[in-house]
Amino acid sequence: MSTLMKGNFTPAQAVESAPQQADSLEQRFEKEALKKLGGSIAFVAKKKVLWGDEVDNQDATE
Amino acid sequence: MAKILFINPVVREEDDPRHVPYGIALLAAIAMREGHLVQVYDENAWRKGPQVLHSVFNADRWDVIAIGGITTAYGSIKNIVRQARRECPQALIVLGGGVLTSLPREMMGFLPEVDVGVVGEGFITFPEILAMLDAGGRDWASIDGTISRTADGGLFISGQRALLEDLDTLPYPAWDLFPLEEVYFPNSQVLFSEEGMLAKRRLDINMSYGCSLVCKYCYHLGIAGDMRYETDANEDIQVAFDQPKNYTRSIRYHSPEYVVGLVKYAREKYNIDFVVFLDENLMTMDQYSKRTWMSEICRLWVEAGLQPTCLRDGIEHDEQCTGVHWSGTSHATLCNPEILKTMRNAGCSHLVYGYESFARHVMKTIGKGATPQTNLRSFFWTLEAGIRPIPNQIIGFPNEDFAAIYDNMEAWKKLGIVVKPFFATPYPGSEWFTVYRNRILEQYDGDLESYLLDLGDATRITAVISHNFNAVELLGLRELMLNFDYKRIRAYEQYWRNNHGIKDGAPSTLYREPVQEVAVTKITQQKVATG
Ligand code: B12
Ligand code: SF4
Repeated sequence: MSTLMKGNFTPAQAVESAPQQADSLEQRFEKEALKKLGGSIAFVAKKKVLWGDEVDNQDATE
Repeated sequence: MAKILFINPVVREEDDPRHVPYGIALLAAIAMREGHLVQVYDENAWRKGPQVLHSVFNADRWDVIAIGGITTAYGSIKNIVRQARRECPQALIVLGGGVLTSLPREMMGFLPEVDVGVVGEGFITFPEILAMLDAGGRDWASIDGTISRTADGGLFISGQRALLEDLDTLPYPAWDLFPLEEVYFPNSQVLFSEEGMLAKRRLDINMSYGCSLVCKYCYHLGIAGDMRYETDANEDIQVAFDQPKNYTRSIRYHSPEYVVGLVKYAREKYNIDFVVFLDENLMTMDQYSKRTWMSEICRLWVEAGLQPTCLRDGIEHDEQCTGVHWSGTSHATLCNPEILKTMRNAGCSHLVYGYESFARHVMKTIGKGATPQTNLRSFFWTLEAGIRPIPNQIIGFPNEDFAAIYDNMEAWKKLGIVVKPFFATPYPGSEWFTVYRNRILEQYDGDLESYLLDLGDATRITAVISHNFNAVELLGLRELMLNFDYKRIRAYEQYWRNNHGIKDGAPSTLYREPVQEVAVTKITQQKVATG
């Protein structure tokens, strides 16, 4: 029986853990870095970076 | 027999899950005792999200989906009940706990998926709902302690549920239904004492209900005699809590035999090495039992062989030590050196004190029944007994001013206190939520739900109730306090005085309300210790 749900009877269907649940290396790194944030500990939250070519390119060349 | 799915929602997402939800564990045990079929899915422990919840909801045909928690679990509860309604249209969705109890009508409005709310204590109300369901009934309004929906789309609050008198009739919590080995035991550590730090197999126990004090930022979940039903001008029942000059409490505690029996059972069954007592204020109970309760628990603790060997043999604690260490909450004015020593001998490693402030004028207004002097006294008594006092501090009280800030910094320096204070936060159910409700809503564009979603640990700033400082000032001042940066605080005080037209030498405050003395107006004691 699945250990995700626990009880006093066996449910009709077992509950499976979704396979992709473990944190990726990127997630693990960002979580750990966040705990120590400050001073030289700074990082880029990769999923949140949006490259808006026009505006950003303009800024880069101005 | 009803098929019940309990779900524990996510709370304090930023930290690892550390606490088996004691209320749900008891309700699950009660439901099983009554012969129902029970499963628990602990989303707070697993944090697996909607995909796994989908499997959970479809694992069987649930008659009841039961969920509950504290106010800060609201965001998680909202997502879970929405999904539950979509995936299990047949199930009765029941919500309980502090989140519902503090704002029953508002919660039922925010969460249309919920069929029945359990207001306050669930020990009798919840099994009565299950029994009615089994009998084919749906007349929730006839069960005390509920809020339910009427045929015309309104809400009905039934009679107030009386609190359970004999707590010892409760079964032991259904710890087996939670992922102890997988999640909770690996997160046993409590970084408040050496013994807590080395804990490997910790469980939590709540051995009493109630607190005789009336701190205005505190809420007692409607299970401490703190809740009153009042009829408003429209003849509607409103659920009320502490209000200025109107406080009620009921003091209840398990017998020392029940407590030690439960710890012994947990030791034998799970090999626990540490217990966190969740009680709001152990010292209230000790005082109300005429100083018999705590010492009897300690005597039985030693007699049952639970005393840690380090204390028995008078040696330093290390990983070889066997026995059960424990921690709890104390109160500056209600503790005394004798009981602290007795507690240490039985294995107490640390005690949380809500010292809150070392400023006399602030302490006078918060309802704590303590002063900077009693704070100091208890601090040294506790250290002398060999117990670590955990000195909680709060800033941002309504009358917090520069003088209070300096008083606190002085005390921290003198006592070696290393602390990052909480911000005074008016959680729903507290007196200051009621008093400052409009002011809180102004800070959230009138939207109560967005305030609830913003609430988390009081180490983060949310609604400000200080008359003197805004959110930016409080955040900045706290940072400077931690660094003992008197120079910049003084410089800012000058700037602040100029802005508010307050001359040097005059109190640095805009707070004008009279300081009212507070005391509980009615206390009932429901369980007398047998020891
Ligand atoms: C353990 C605990 C926690 C745990 C989480 C508990 C959990 N899983 O729900 C942790 C450590 C995470 C926690 C954190 C905080 N907590 Co806390 N916590 C407690 C504590 C010590 C014990 C709770 C408990 O088990 N009580 C005993 C059981 C039996 O009561 P219960 O769970 O409420 O269950 C009963 C009823 O409410 C109801 N019920 C509950 N659930 C359900 C479900 C259903 C379906 C039904 C029908 C009924 C029902 O029936 C049960 C039996 O009567 C209480 C103090 C206390 N002694 O109660 C404070 C308390 C709940 N916490 C409180 C506070 C203020 C906080 C913090 C905000 C403090 C802070 N640091 O800033 C944080 C918030 C963290 C965050 N970011 O979200 C307040 C109230 C909060 C609120 N407004 O709801 C309390 C009351 C302490 C106090 N007096 O100030 N807390
Ligand atoms: S002493 Fe603690 S539990 Fe009691 S009212 Fe004050 S904050 Fe709440």
